[in-house]
Amino acid sequence: MTSIGFERVSFRYPDSEERVLDDVTLEIPAGSFALVTGDTGAGKSTFIRAINGLVPHFTGGEYAGAVTLRGETLRNTLDSAPRYLADLVAFVPQDPAAAFVVDRVEDELAYSLENLGVDRAVMRRRVEETLDVLNVEGLRDRSVRTLSGGERQRVAIAAALAPGPRILLLDEPTSQLDPQGAEDVLAALQRLVHDLGVTVVLAEHRLERVAGFVDLAVGMRRGQPVVVGDPAGVLEQLRSGPPVARLGRLVGWSPPPLTVRDARRVAGKLTLASPSQSVLPASNPLVRATGLHAGYGRRAVLNQVEVSLDEGAIVALMGRNGAGKTTLLRCLAGLHPAEAGTVEVRGDPPVAGRNVALCPQRPESMLFAETVAGEVEATLRARGSPSSPTSVLDALGIADLSDRHPRDLSAGQRLLVAIASIAATDAPVLLLDEPTRGLDHESKTRLVAFLRSWARRGRAAMVATHDVELAAEVATEVVMLAGGEVIAHGDPAGVLGDSPVFAPQMARVFGPGWLTPDQVAAAVTS
Amino acid sequence: MHQGAWLLWASCGGLVAITTTNPFYLLPLLAVAWVVHAACARPGPQARSFRIFLIFGALTVCTRTALVLFLPSIQMGHVVEAALEGLRLAVLLVVFGAYNTVSDPFGVLRLSPRRFHEPALAASLALSIAPRTIAAVSTVREAQRLRGIEVGRLRNLVGLAVPVLETGMEEAVVLAESMDARGHGRGRRTHYRPELWGWRATTISVACIGAVTVAAAALLGDDPSLAMSAFPVVWPEVSALMLAAIVALSAPAWLPPAQVARAPR
Repeated sequence: MTSIGFERVSFRYPDSEERVLDDVTLEIPAGSFALVTGDTGAGKSTFIRAINGLVPHFTGGEYAGAVTLRGETLRNTLDSAPRYLADLVAFVPQDPAAAFVVDRVEDELAYSLENLGVDRAVMRRRVEETLDVLNVEGLRDRSVRTLSGGERQRVAIAAALAPGPRILLLDEPTSQLDPQGAEDVLAALQRLVHDLGVTVVLAEHRLERVAGFVDLAVGMRRGQPVVVGDPAGVLEQLRSGPPVARLGRLVGWSPPPLTVRDARRVAGKLTLASPSQSVLPASNPLVRATGLHAGYGRRAVLNQVEVSLDEGAIVALMGRNGAGKTTLLRCLAGLHPAEAGTVEVRGDPPVAGRNVALCPQRPESMLFAETVAGEVEATLRARGSPSSPTSVLDALGIADLSDRHPRDLSAGQRLLVAIASIAATDAPVLLLDEPTRGLDHESKTRLVAFLRSWARRGRAAMVATHDVELAAEVATEVVMLAGGEVIAHGDPAGVLGDSPVFAPQMARVFGPGWLTPDQVAAAVTS
Repeated sequence: MHQGAWLLWASCGGLVAITTTNPFYLLPLLAVAWVVHAACARPGPQARSFRIFLIFGALTVCTRTALVLFLPSIQMGHVVEAALEGLRLAVLLVVFGAYNTVSDPFGVLRLSPRRFHEPALAASLALSIAPRTIAAVSTVREAQRLRGIEVGRLRNLVGLAVPVLETGMEEAVVLAESMDARGHGRGRRTHYRPELWGWRATTISVACIGAVTVAAAALLGDDPSLAMSAFPVVWPEVSALMLAAIVALSAPAWLPPAQVARAPR
């Protein structure tokens, strides 16, 4: 059992003027399952990296105070570089793919053990045990480069766990996982806390996923002191929380519930009018895909897919990791050739950047200009469009960022910039591939507002996402993919409402038909 | 396959390439690299990087040949000479490209004795950068196409270079952080499954060392077939022994793939 103590820790990055950590003093008791939450740019990653000494050993910068790890021995992160803490603290970065060192899954698990000089016999046993704990036994001979997002995350956690650390640090471990995959990973983490007494610290934006698991929260806000305590109190102070907490604040429950189960206990007191059914007027189809088959080499990914996107529709494309969402978007954008079937955009074949705009999973792969405005201008210039970048930036609510350098922005802001530079192509169809990685609440609100205004102008959007709450909030239709086939297509309440995996929190509390806290609060009659 | 055998293969292929400007040796050597790549490339995005090495090889030939234009008077011999020197460099590049797709850069690192750990780490990181960068190039090109920017054009090159370099840099930092956080470089190191030097590795080593010996003997013995005469331009002779040595370098492609030692599950 090892606890983590911050004593008056302050830190400033070398090229920055403000301190990310400012006189932080707190204690995370041994055996905690702790959540680090707050807006992007508030210093969550820095906080986590300070626990194993990556900050300041790797970053440089101005550092004061001390982080101590108290277990059988007392270790101070300033005295020992991260490598000398590796037997005690393990760290899983946000993008596990970039952190893999070796090629084969089994060797990747053994890598830390080899570095620590563990005996071969012990090593063999530890690797086997860890394969089972994270349920990655079936992947042992695979190359890490061929794994899906969810598999990668599980393998990365297994590789971190193999040496038996007492503290496990994770930066957004569920951001690339489907709801079931996220649930599995969190349950595995909880088992480590309960059975092995590991102290787990994770940063996460998807509060609806983690709030029920954690027993301690560290709340960070820009320019304000860090708060630490029980999750309900901290989230209340930050005015954030999962949808049930937002509902609690809207209808005056105190304290607001954190989990669906808490919410059900108090929900009985509410009398609700029946859910408003928003019936969409029938409109013209903008995109139509018929009989679509596609794959990579001999591996078939899409099978007989029929999808249409109407004018004014915002379609959430959902399904497990590896269900074929990205491939479908790439087919709709004309980037991936279909083996059979057709895709038409108002009767024409799709041409990316002309009549279809697709924002890829990693927005960093397209940003190159010196300023945010310059980024949008580059698209406008390429398309020969006379309009100014301001209108596009305004629509996304990021006009105030127009002179900033894209590299200096948070992940969420960068995504909005990428969407702006894609939307500037003025194509009537906008496809977004997993736009919620690293997206904090504020950026998500801006994205939702933008998508609505986009649809109001008679255009269409399709958003591939694992974020059921985003789908519940913004989607007019949901398409559910499984094994490359469309298994459901309809209004969100119908498709998501009674799904055990994909139902949003409001549907879990009040039954199918209820999607968002605002919708429920508006229907309260007494 | 033992990583040391691959290292030997690449070194020998490179050594044979630099001994000669004879196109009848260089072109078969190019084919050998291609065959080995096709037969032994590891799965994953780095397999695609071979094509980029081919393109760079072709560019090298063109650039080297174009340099002739700066000479005061140009004869056919100058062009031929330059093109062959370009070809030699190109073959060297392609052999390295094939090595990149068949080897595991960090497997090489695990082989290195502790004393050479730091330089080996630097070398492994450098080796892994080429395939990573090449994978990034195709991602970025596609991302830019999505907004109507064709990065093939010269003036849009910044749209390709900046994201590739930036993401490459970020990834390198993440990798270095992760390696350190996982105890890399702490000193005493054990091996989980030491790579075994099997009969395949031995066969390849014998073939490779044999090939280099033949090339070295030809070089020391002033074998006229190694260089092609450019003044006047005459097709060179071909020694059967040299050709056999080059073909021997394709040994990895013909050996049956190693079976995983454990029972199938």
